[in-house]
Amino acid sequence: MNVVNEDKLAKSKKRNQSIAFFILGLLGYFIVAILLIILSFIVYKGISVINWSFITQMPEDGMTKGGIYPAIIGTLYLVAGSMLFAFPIGVLAAIYMNEYVKDGVFKKIIKQMTNNLSGVPSIVFGLFGMSLFVNKLGFGDSILAGSLTLGLLALPVVIRTTEEALKAVDNTFRQASIGLGATKWQTTRRVVLPIAFPNIITGLILSVGRVSGETAPILFTVAAYFLPKLPTSIFDQAMALPYHLYVISTSGTNIEESRPIAYGTALVLIIIVLITNLLANALRKYFGRKVKMN
Amino acid sequence: MPQIEVELQNLKSEIVLMWKLVSDQMKKSMECLAKMDKDLAEEVLRAEKKVNSAELRIDRDCENIFALFNPVAIDLRLVMALLKINSSLERVGDIAASIAKFVKKSDGFDYLSLITSTHALEMFEEASDLLDDVLHSFESENSQLAEGVFRRDKTLNDLKKDARAVVIAQIKKDPENVEHCLSVLSIIRKLERAGDQSKTIAEEIIFFIDAKVLKHAPKSDEK
Amino acid sequence: MYKLESKNANVFYGASQALTDINLAIHSHTVTALIGPSGCGKSTYLRLFNRMNDLIDGIKITGQVLIDGQDIYAKGVNVDALRKKTGMVFQKPNPFPKTIFENVAYGLRVNGITDAKFIEERVETSIKQVVLWDEVKDKLKKSAFELSGGQQQRLCIARALAIQPSIILMDEPTSALDPISTAKVEELIHELKAKYTIVVVTHNMQQAGRISDSTAFFYLGELVEYNTTKEIFTNPKNQRTQNYITGRFG
Repeated sequence: MNVVNEDKLAKSKKRNQSIAFFILGLLGYFIVAILLIILSFIVYKGISVINWSFITQMPEDGMTKGGIYPAIIGTLYLVAGSMLFAFPIGVLAAIYMNEYVKDGVFKKIIKQMTNNLSGVPSIVFGLFGMSLFVNKLGFGDSILAGSLTLGLLALPVVIRTTEEALKAVDNTFRQASIGLGATKWQTTRRVVLPIAFPNIITGLILSVGRVSGETAPILFTVAAYFLPKLPTSIFDQAMALPYHLYVISTSGTNIEESRPIAYGTALVLIIIVLITNLLANALRKYFGRKVKMN
Repeated sequence: MPQIEVELQNLKSEIVLMWKLVSDQMKKSMECLAKMDKDLAEEVLRAEKKVNSAELRIDRDCENIFALFNPVAIDLRLVMALLKINSSLERVGDIAASIAKFVKKSDGFDYLSLITSTHALEMFEEASDLLDDVLHSFESENSQLAEGVFRRDKTLNDLKKDARAVVIAQIKKDPENVEHCLSVLSIIRKLERAGDQSKTIAEEIIFFIDAKVLKHAPKSDEK
Repeated sequence: MYKLESKNANVFYGASQALTDINLAIHSHTVTALIGPSGCGKSTYLRLFNRMNDLIDGIKITGQVLIDGQDIYAKGVNVDALRKKTGMVFQKPNPFPKTIFENVAYGLRVNGITDAKFIEERVETSIKQVVLWDEVKDKLKKSAFELSGGQQQRLCIARALAIQPSIILMDEPTSALDPISTAKVEELIHELKAKYTIVVVTHNMQQAGRISDSTAFFYLGELVEYNTTKEIFTNPKNQRTQNYITGRFG
């Protein structure tokens, strides 16, 4: 047996540990730092324009003055519309995939396709949406066409998170239910879904976050450059926050003058995404408790 | 090696030590009877304490193994067999000691002629050999060897029957010394019982190895 | 007639064989322990009796598995009805995310029973059978997750009993429980034996000794030895069984 210098070994072990901790810590702080820099930059630049009238008034003077009210409302409509479309389809598809389809080539292909779909650039969704919903189905540039396009974009995310949520449900719950003579559907509806629900909700809200920030898919399907009124039906065009931001910082009537408004818009967008994420957490906790109470 | 294996090995070597101690006692006791040597008798009586403390230690070890390792199957049979072998060995040790005690307390009477005519020493030797034989069968885990002990025990029983007749004849011839004659008869009885203990040990060895229970099995003609 | 029986039962997962030619017969009102190292096929064997293996993709089963002399893998067998003959209890207590009451009522409700009074009575008898009634009678409307692990497991047994099976299959029912809860479940198994036929998979050999009448030792998908528990634990006939139960395996 070779003799180990205990002291030396302990020291070198300690040193290695410190180095590893230092590097890992540095990387962690680095990421947080970048995030903080971006956030504080936008807050710093945008906070001055934010006030009640900014979020409740129409844009004025070629969008160099006034508020962004129609863009906020437009974004909310689009998010709601896309979720109305993507959520039921996505969840049902995931249930079918996870609970009913047997392992095999068919399942593999569908899985691969879903994964590919989530990798497709969003501008391609925009083009697809334009040719199918706007032109072919004749919806025109409208909230309906935009919502459907965004819904398509969100679909893979919803399917995947729902599938993960279902997979996380221990198999013995299914076996216990089926062992009592329950059918697969009874098992899914009464046992599996309630357990998976908190995680499904989380997935849904994360996809809301993603959808609300997209520009490309709405570019050709719904977004209006400037619209001094609110949409009155789903066949109307609408403004949307990300597109509004794009417009006033690249092709506005007076880019320099509308700069503060751009930052203000960005800040509002970030706040909306932040709120949805917080909501996701709160809902998960709420339903997590509720599942246990029922 | 699992810990229970270690414990069982320890237990086995303890019992072998005890066994050798008892076997030693038998040999010494036999020698002191042959020579009516009171000093040697004293030595045997002193060593008896060692046998007793070894018995207690093995008992305690068996108890611990039962409580802590929950032995099953062959392990269980081994510990159970050792527990019984332990008490049998202690009894054989007692017999050796009680014969030494007899030598120590003997008066001037000439026992040797009666001991010779009853073949008591041959019985002693046989009993002592039996003990060594079962030890051998235990150490080599050979149950056939143990079975051989049953035959040898029979010879011992036959010897005892003959010896009894000799003693009875002697009493008739010399009624003055009835007490002395009875003492010799009791030694002979004890030796026979020592042989019985070896037989019991052999039965335990067979139970441990083959899981066969020979106790209370219908016997061929005995007595 | 035997309560449970398998004749040359083979199970394949895809290309690999999980069980090979298992022949075993179990009398009614007995407790049978299935022992063996992990992956030996004992859990798969247990799940043959309620066709729970059917849920696994790519599984193939040959040979015969009989309950009360009827081949349960024969064509035309109503699997849902068959599963009602057996109650199953799992390794980790897995009450449903429902109230204590609804957990036990679940099996009745999914089988189309709506009579509230009947359900109430059945729930009460079932919970009483597992000696849990006094502990939960005041909180039947509370979540089952509020119970301790041992109570949850007894609730799961009550849930299985509610549909009045004649067979109870248990897959390591106490491996997640503390010793006191384990003792309670074991005691319960002794009591349930009077009414049910029980098959228990266990990794705890002392437990097999304590609760079962017969023991089957599985190794590498084969049934190595099947005998009375007494015989297995005092004088196993097969060297592999002996090595396994005395802890000298591999």
